[in-house]
Amino acid sequence: MGAFEYRQAQEIRDAFSRHACRCLFIGKSGAILLGFPDTTQDATLFVERSPENCRALVEALRELGFALSDDQAGDVLRGKDFVQLKNGPFDLDLVFAPDGIEHFEGAWRRRVEVEGFPVCHLDDIIASKTASNRQRDRESLPRLRAFREYWMSRR
Amino acid sequence: MATKSPNPASERPSTELRSTSDIPAEWLEEFEAAARRPLEQRMRYAFIHTYKPVLDDAPYRAFDTMEDYRRWCEENLPDWLGYGRI
Repeated sequence: MGAFEYRQAQEIRDAFSRHACRCLFIGKSGAILLGFPDTTQDATLFVERSPENCRALVEALRELGFALSDDQAGDVLRGKDFVQLKNGPFDLDLVFAPDGIEHFEGAWRRRVEVEGFPVCHLDDIIASKTASNRQRDRESLPRLRAFREYWMSRR
Repeated sequence: MATKSPNPASERPSTELRSTSDIPAEWLEEFEAAARRPLEQRMRYAFIHTYKPVLDDAPYRAFDTMEDYRRWCEENLPDWLGYGRI
């Protein structure tokens, strides 16, 4: 498995758009799309949990080349909170209920679009990392908060 | 950085506020340098792949709740990966 590439991000964006699937890049992958200079391994998507959106998600993932079995597709359709995919062309984490964000609709309204990529607002990314309170997040938050100030000053 | 946001500032959740003058010079230089790069190049520098024990050993995992996922990480992943809660 190679590293996630710009071309693959484009493929996600285009496939999800074709299937009218609403999702947002979140986590460090989202921050990187917004310009945060750091490293990460996986792309993480915050997906709207509605029956029609989950059906669209399964179709888009299969089109992208993820080998979802019927059971695995059922997990997505039933709305598991967190799904980790390493059975496709790149690693992808799907989160339906990220810590620190009340509901998808609010995050969708606050989203930022970067070259057509829908991305969570940095405040939501920071809120999520703050609420998850993991060691890895705690270490990255000071720099991420500093970037937030820089980023907001340029908008 | 060509970005646009359809959302009003009043809807955003509050976060700790700082001033750009508080940003360490080294970080500020990195932010400025990144802003000068096109997105494709930023992504090439940002996304790396290294093997993460246990985490990378299954092609698929799903968790009913985030709490289940966090607990699984704490019980199964090496501490040094940093997935444990503080």
